[in-house]
Amino acid sequence: MTTKKKINYRRREKLKDFLCVLPAVIFFALFVYYPIVKLFQISFTNWNLISDTYKYVGLKNFKWLFKGSGFASLVNSLAITFRYTFWEIVITIAGGLLLASLFNRESKVFSALRSIVFMPRYIAISASAIVFMWILNDQYGILNYVLKVIGLKPIMFNTKENALTAVLILTGWRVIGYGMMIYLSAMKGISPEYYEAAKLDGANGFQRFRFITLPLLSPTTLFLFVTTFIASMKVFQSIDVMTSGGPYGATEVIVYWIYELAFVDFRVDRAAAVTLVFFVILMGFTAATMKFTERNIYYES
Amino acid sequence: MKKGISTFFLSIMMLMVIVGIGAQDADKYAVKAPIKIQFWHALEAQYKPLIDKVIADFEKQNPLIKVEAIYQGSYADLNEKLIAAQAAGTTLPALTVANTPYVAQYGAAGLCEILDPYIKATSFDINDFGEGLRRASSYDGKQVSLPFLISTQIMFYNKDIAEAEKIKLPEKWSDMDEFMKKASKISGGVTQRYATVIPGWDQWYFEPFYLNAGVKIIKDNNTTDLGEPTAVAITKKLKQWCDEKTAYWAYGKDASSIMRQNFLDGKAFSVVHTTSLYEMYATNAKFKVGMHYLPGNATRKSEIGGCVLLIPAKNKQDVKNAAWKLLSYLTSKEVNMLWAKETGYMPTRNSVLQTSEAKAFLEEKPAFKAVFDNLNNINPRIQHPAYAALSKIWMQELAKVIIEGGDVDSSMKKMAQLINEALED
Repeated sequence: MTTKKKINYRRREKLKDFLCVLPAVIFFALFVYYPIVKLFQISFTNWNLISDTYKYVGLKNFKWLFKGSGFASLVNSLAITFRYTFWEIVITIAGGLLLASLFNRESKVFSALRSIVFMPRYIAISASAIVFMWILNDQYGILNYVLKVIGLKPIMFNTKENALTAVLILTGWRVIGYGMMIYLSAMKGISPEYYEAAKLDGANGFQRFRFITLPLLSPTTLFLFVTTFIASMKVFQSIDVMTSGGPYGATEVIVYWIYELAFVDFRVDRAAAVTLVFFVILMGFTAATMKFTERNIYYES
Repeated sequence: MKKGISTFFLSIMMLMVIVGIGAQDADKYAVKAPIKIQFWHALEAQYKPLIDKVIADFEKQNPLIKVEAIYQGSYADLNEKLIAAQAAGTTLPALTVANTPYVAQYGAAGLCEILDPYIKATSFDINDFGEGLRRASSYDGKQVSLPFLISTQIMFYNKDIAEAEKIKLPEKWSDMDEFMKKASKISGGVTQRYATVIPGWDQWYFEPFYLNAGVKIIKDNNTTDLGEPTAVAITKKLKQWCDEKTAYWAYGKDASSIMRQNFLDGKAFSVVHTTSLYEMYATNAKFKVGMHYLPGNATRKSEIGGCVLLIPAKNKQDVKNAAWKLLSYLTSKEVNMLWAKETGYMPTRNSVLQTSEAKAFLEEKPAFKAVFDNLNNINPRIQHPAYAALSKIWMQELAKVIIEGGDVDSSMKKMAQLINEALED
């Protein structure tokens, strides 16, 4: 093959590669990157979504957010969002790991149990949220009925202190099985030779878990941490159905606040400014997590 | 003689010109070719047979127009879809319902077609709607929508208990203390029966208590009176009844369904709610349900709730013409009473109230007398582009101080400050 032919061949191959990724590039450009650019533009306007016209107002929306009345709401909703995210990560990782360790058995009973624990993941959030609303209802809920029957005090979920807990109960029910399944599949990938060698060295069950299972599961933990972090920071549906951000804004997570700004208050300009700030927080936190964990993750498994 | 003849011909010609112009105007809004249009509404599944019947009757009368009636969820859901369609400029319905508070925002943004030329050209009898209803469906002096399914605040009460225990319903705010004591039952510090339940999940329900006391929710200088002594006194009273456990403040996501259940279970003697839910209460209660107009103070007025009908302005003219035909039909005298009978919403046309149908309706549902007697006291809601933001602050702060406790004076002052900031924005 002459040099010229080689170059042509390479070019053709490159073109083919490019054509293969082109649909994805177009899709991302249209539905991901363009909206981000548009969002940036809207945040500098006074657009209310229903008017055909708008004016550029410079940094007015950001001033409202950081120096005006928006700041208290931003701090409040970020605090609630991080609190929610923290507990969802704990439930997914700690709960998932615990259940995976318990259910890592080969029998029909355990297989059925695994299916039962995992199933909630596939039930629509809106449907399960309505069911949980009734289970946890202060006056007519079955939980408080049972508590009353066994002589305990009812739990009032429609309060500032407990409303987020009610949402987290639904979240826990949905995500714990997912965490378990991811950990189970990762556990299957750990070579039994490590355990045999450790056994020969006299390591007990806890030591094998602590020094073999846990380190080798760290890539899975990182994966769960990052994906759960991003997903839970964007929580909306369960809040919308169960609490609508209430009572008194006690469950007003940031995405719900953005939704209210845009669709209730007709302030899509402010919603865009908050979304941009949220975008930067998410990007920054994810990048920092990746950087921090780069040196602490074992990829042998 | 000659002069007389020429005057006669001149008059004929002028008349012809006037009629001609009128006919030309009406012709401008006529439907000339077959067309399929969408109608978005918020009437739940139980009303589907009614919607289907009305649409079928309309299509029979207007063979060129086919209507696809689409249920779009609650008013809030419908609002989201409508403004998304408006922003995109596509998939807009030809005709849609909208909850009354949205009229100001939609009107200000130019979302709605201005209906005055249509009304004039087709000689639509707009004056048959009460003045309050006309104002509630207009913006900046222009008719941007028409009243459709209209309701107002009302107190539903247990008529059997009222008769058995001779409970006198409150006519004035000052009667409320006595009513609260008489209608509630408390033993050992535990409430067996609340005198009433006040919905705190939507400011529309408790707003009349403040308005009737003379509180200006939004003053001409774009600030609120809610931090002033009159408003504080109303809040203190509401809190006092809740603290005494003769009433409770219904708040939270499922507060509405809990409140209804409490009333139906006899745990509440009365509830403040919307007239549109009369059918629901009357059908599900094992007792006779009465309706009582809310107690007055300096005035005794209530506010319009429910929805209006509007045509999105971005539609093409042929779509708007077909939508106008449907809008005229849905708000016509012939269909008006049907809505009232089947849904529990109020008749909106004055002429309908004089018909034998309306009289028969009142005989069948005497509870509605409380509403019919007060039709002139039902006012439009406050219209302001920042009202959604205002009401959110109001609801949250009021619920916080009434349910969780705290100093009413400082809470109301703080609330007024937040509202003023929102209004200034």
